[in-house]
Formats: sequence, structure tokens, C-alpha cells
Amino acid sequence: MADVTFSNVQKHFGAFRAVQDLNLDIREGEFVSLLGPSGCGKTTTLRMLAGLEFPTSGEIRIGDRVVNDVAPGKRDIAMVFQSYALYPHMTVGENIAYPLKKRGVEKAERARMLKDTADMLQLTPLLRRKPRELSGGQQQRVALGRALVRDPKVFLLDEPLSNLDAKLRGHMRAELIELHRRLGRTMVYVTHDQLEAMTMSDRIAVMEGGKLQQFAPPQEVYREPSNRFVAGFIGTPGMTIIDGALSGSPGAWRFDAPGISVEARHLGPDAAEGAASMGVRPEALTIGTGDTPATLRLVEQTGHENIVVVSIGDIRMTGRTTPDKVWSPGEEVMISIDPDMPHFFADGPNGKRLNAKPSPRGNEPSHSLSNLSEVSP
Amino acid sequence: MATRPKTLLERHYALLGLALIAPTVLVFCAVIVYPLISAIYLSLFSIFTPTLEGEWVGLANYRELLTSGDFWSALRVNLIWTIGTLTLQIVAGVGMALILHQNIWFRSLARSLILFPYFVSTVVAVLVWKWLFNDLYGILNHLMMTAGIIDWPIDYLGMMPNALISVILVGAWKYFPFVVIAVLARLQTIPDALYEAARIDGAGPVARFFDVTLPQLRDVLVVIIMLRAIWDFKEFDLIFLLTGGGPVNSTETLPLLVYKEAFALNQMGMASAYAVVMMLIMLVFMILYVRRTRSVDGA
Ligand SMILES: Nc1ncnc2c1ncn2[C@@H]1O[C@H](COP(=O)(O)OP(=O)(O)OP(=O)(O)O)[C@@H](O)[C@H]1O
Ligand SMILES: [Mg+2]
Repeated sequence: MADVTFSNVQKHFGAFRAVQDLNLDIREGEFVSLLGPSGCGKTTTLRMLAGLEFPTSGEIRIGDRVVNDVAPGKRDIAMVFQSYALYPHMTVGENIAYPLKKRGVEKAERARMLKDTADMLQLTPLLRRKPRELSGGQQQRVALGRALVRDPKVFLLDEPLSNLDAKLRGHMRAELIELHRRLGRTMVYVTHDQLEAMTMSDRIAVMEGGKLQQFAPPQEVYREPSNRFVAGFIGTPGMTIIDGALSGSPGAWRFDAPGISVEARHLGPDAAEGAASMGVRPEALTIGTGDTPATLRLVEQTGHENIVVVSIGDIRMTGRTTPDKVWSPGEEVMISIDPDMPHFFADGPNGKRLNAKPSPRGNEPSHSLSNLSEVSP
Repeated sequence: MATRPKTLLERHYALLGLALIAPTVLVFCAVIVYPLISAIYLSLFSIFTPTLEGEWVGLANYRELLTSGDFWSALRVNLIWTIGTLTLQIVAGVGMALILHQNIWFRSLARSLILFPYFVSTVVAVLVWKWLFNDLYGILNHLMMTAGIIDWPIDYLGMMPNALISVILVGAWKYFPFVVIAVLARLQTIPDALYEAARIDGAGPVARFFDVTLPQLRDVLVVIIMLRAIWDFKEFDLIFLLTGGGPVNSTETLPLLVYKEAFALNQMGMASAYAVVMMLIMLVFMILYVRRTRSVDGA
């Protein structure tokens, strides 16, 4: 059952189209991330769901109710702001209990709910402090507490971790996952950090330029990016995307680019001769053995592996090797591309995926994902 | 204190500091300390203003002042005027600031227009108001009679309590823009996210005002109230020009009384005594203000 639905939602600011043709069905209890580069319309989408911004057209539902004309306070949602937006003159306790007070929950009940929430978030010793007497992480928890305390239908979070340092962010990420598991509530989470999106979400909505690009579970977004933008956006280090051309016929496609010629397997019915692009994840590239000559450009040592950039003519590709290999920039090496692993896209910056479904040989999801989370800064 | 010998540079800086602060100190002494001391000194004499000749009377001026009805009546009028006009200034100022803070289309025009009363000179403002208030040809009476609200022209400035009310209203009109500017500046620094959070938490417009806006305005309001209280308390020109303290002495505040003693009754010594007492009363406000601003800074 869909818990949150966007149907053909548009949001224009004057002539600028911040969100276009958005269709999104979020299931009850699901953790959904809105992921995309800065300015792609994530916050706008979330704010429309919160009722802080009104869609230019289209319909937004929470449960079975169309909420286009429902005030934010009546939507049964709670929101955690990027800036936390704690009331500075109120104590932590008053901040958390405020939504209850405004909803006329009586005092004894309020105290009980406040206590439960404070215990859950380990805020009990801080209840009498003012927000300015708290650290960033503590403020973040208070903001979370204010959202959790009244058990709303949907939680909205706008980059709640972006003001924290890397270590605390990792910690809070784990806490949020745990919290979501325990509460089982629908959560919509805005982030531009793909590591957060990949590790926390049931499904990720990847957006770009106000448009939804793909809405799928993290592994599917990684393994079967629906278009060239998603392919390039997801993954660290990123996928190398090579412009070239497809030739041949179904069952016997080849992909050619200057200095590269590979057999294109696993193409679907949409494949056609002509301009196309090929995406190669670092793990699809073997460096040191193979049949294609390349020049080594850069070696980044991260400790547990080396990130290696090689070039073939003008094409630069990123791969990874074990740390014991010793390379020096400028060296000539042989490389090969695993023919089962590349992704193919139609021409253009948002060119559609051409691979057949289901995806080519596994791409070893667990391997890819663990690499992703370890490598991210 | 460590008695480490000062380096050349430190001594140099100390001298420089002294040199930089000296002009201010000298001017301060000339325009504030000297008049203050001489006022206190004069208040101990009985002086005939035109000749400035006088004889030592000690504290007699103060004794007379505290036992005369004039002082207490002026103090009463002064307090009514200050509290009345200040309250109106704050209420109108905050209200107008809230309106101007909204996204209304004529906002920038309105923002500049609203400053008009504050910038127009008191003399001009009083002339305009006297004309509006005039009982024979004033537009106020004319409009009210045309609208059928009143049958007879109202004497706004020549009768009580009309005169005091009129003075208070004109004072509020003249000085509320100051409150508007200060409050508006503060309003603009309140993050939108606080209001949005409050809306999501279920707070209506009234609750948002009392739970978000007002607490944020508290500090600036305290400072405004202190400053305006001091300024209103010693207001002279507006009241003097509008009613001259009349009818009889029913709008006569302490500053007007000082003026009357000094230049109408030619009692410079007595006038100085009034001025000194006034200063003592304002000292209370001033101490409150200084303490308050200090604690705000310290917070
Ligand atoms: N009130 C507004 N008026 C005009 N344009 C706006 C307004 N709010 C947002 N926009 C524009 O809409 C686009 C999407 O904004 P939005 O805040 O949703 O981006 P975002 O995806 O949250 O980006 P970020 O990661 O930087 O927060 C941006 O280009 C922004 O400039
Ligand atoms: Mg944003």
C-alpha cells in the first residue's frame, strides 16, 4: 500500500522548473532517500510533502488523503531540518514537548511521552539545557526527538547529518537505521551523500535537474543504473563513461571508441547501431594483464587498495588494484575490460540504459557495495 | 601584578592609546562634566536669570521644590506622558514592523514612508498637527463632523484630558518609526526554519508570534524600551510647541518646568535644582539600561 504518493507533481518558481513531472509511490514503513546533486529539487520535493511549499500542479497524497490543501501541522508528518531549527529560548525538554503542547496533549501524558523519547535518544540528562549549550550532535538528536515524540505517519529529514563531522555522521547513520527498524515508520530522507543513501535506504529516488531519474533499491541503482546520469552519479570512485558507437546486430554487438574495441554482451532490445556510451566500473577493469595498451596516469593509495587512473588516448579510466602492486605514473600497462560487466547507454547525457534485464552477471553486489562504503570519505 | 618591565613597543602603544583617547575625554569633559557640575553648583544659589547674580541658599531650592505642588504635578504628567506614549510607540512599532516584514507588494515603499514622522523636524510636525487639530478649520474635526461622529468641534489642545491625550498620540506618531526600524532589523534575522518548524509542530499564527517571534524580540525590545523611556522622559520641544504645557499646567512636564523657571520666572537656581532632580530620576533608567545591555552581551 502506498503511503506517500506524488502524482504528476510540478513545482515552478517563476519560469524556473524546480520539480518536473514527479511520480513517486512510497510504501508504508519504507525508508526512501531523495538523492541528487545540489539544486536538483530534493528539498523542494520534501517541502512540498511537508506543506511548506505548494505544488504548481499535480497531487500529493499521504495515506488515502490528498494533502495539497492541508496545513503542515495537520498532515501528520514531522520534519527534521538541516539547521535543526530548535527554538532557542526553550529548553531541550520544552523543545521536544512543543508539538505535543500545540496539539493539546495533556500535561501528565506529555511528560510521559517526553520521558520515553528522551530515554530513547539518551537526552534525559540534557532536558534542562538550552539548545545553544549543546554540541551539534546533541542538537541533532533534540531535533530528532521533537520529530519522534508524537509518532507521526511520515518522517521527513532534510540532510540531517550534513552539519556533523564524519565520525559522528557514521554513528548517527547507524542510529537512524536502528530507529527506523524499531519504529517501522515511513521516512523520506534528503541527502546528497550517496553513501548515506546507499546504506540507509530501502529505495533511492535519484533526481537531477528537477526530474526523477530512477527509483529503485540501492543495489539496483548501483547495478542497473537506468540511465547515463545515474550511472555516473552513483559509485565512488565513479564509473568511467566512454563515448563511442555500437555496431553489429542483436547477439553480436561491438562497442568501439578510439583505442578501445570490446564485445558488447547482454544488450537488450533497445540497442541500435550508432552513437552510444559504455560505462565501466572500476571493478570491471583489470590492470596489469590484458590486450589493450594504456598509460598509467595516477595512483592513489587509500591503504587497503590502490585507485589507479589509466588513459587510452583521450579516455581516462579508473580502476582499483591491490595495494601490493607498485606502479609509477607514466608507465605503460596492459588492461582489459571484463566483457560481462560494462553498462551501455544511448547517446546523450541522460541516455537510457541499453543492457538487457536482468542485469549481466551479478556484478557481485555485496562486493561492490562494501567497496563503495569503505572508499567513501 | 607582574612587574615585568614594559618593552619599548608596549610603552609606545600605551602612549598612542592615550593620545587617541585624549580628544574624546576632553570634549566629554567640556560638554558633559562641566555643565553637570555647574548645574549642581548653580542649584545651590538663588539666581536672577537676566543678570546671573545670585546668593548662596544651600539646599533651600531643593526644599522648596519638594514641598511645592508644581514639582509633583509635573512629575505626574511626566510619567503619564512617558508611559502613555512609550506604550503606544511599542505597540504600534511592533505591529507595523510585523506588517512590513510580510511579503506585501508595496513593502519597500511602505518601509521608507513609515520613517517619515521620525525624520521630519519637530517644528514642522507640530505645525502640521496643530493645523489638523485646529478646532475651527482643522481637518480632523471637519471629517468627524461630516461623518456624523460628533456634533460640535472638539478642542483637542485647549482642554483636558484632550490635550494630554493629543500630546501622547503625536509623540507616539513621531517616535514609533524608531521602534519599527529596530524591530524590523531583528525580525529579519529570525531564521525562517523556526517558523516552518513551528507550523509543522502545529502552531497557528498567534502561537507562532508568542512562541517564536516574541522571545526573539525580547532583547531588542528591552533595549528599545530603555532608550525610548529616557528620551521620552526628557522630551521638550514637541510638548512645548504643541501646548506650551497648557491648558494652565496640565501638560507641563519636568523639562517644561525647568524652562519656565529659568526663562519665564527668571529663577536660574531653581531651574538648576529641577534639572538635577530630573537627572537623578533618569539615572535610575540609565543604570537599568547599562545593566541590562551588559547582561544581554554577557549572555
Ligand atoms: N523559493 C525559491 N525561489 C526560487 N527558486 C528556488 C526557490 N527554492 C528553490 N529554488 C530553486 O529550485 C532548485 C531546487 O532547489 P532545492 O532546494 O530543492 O535543491 P536541493 O536539491 O535541495 O539542493 P541542495 O542539495 O543544494 O540542498 C534550485 O535551483 C533552487 O535555486
Ligand atoms: Mg536541499
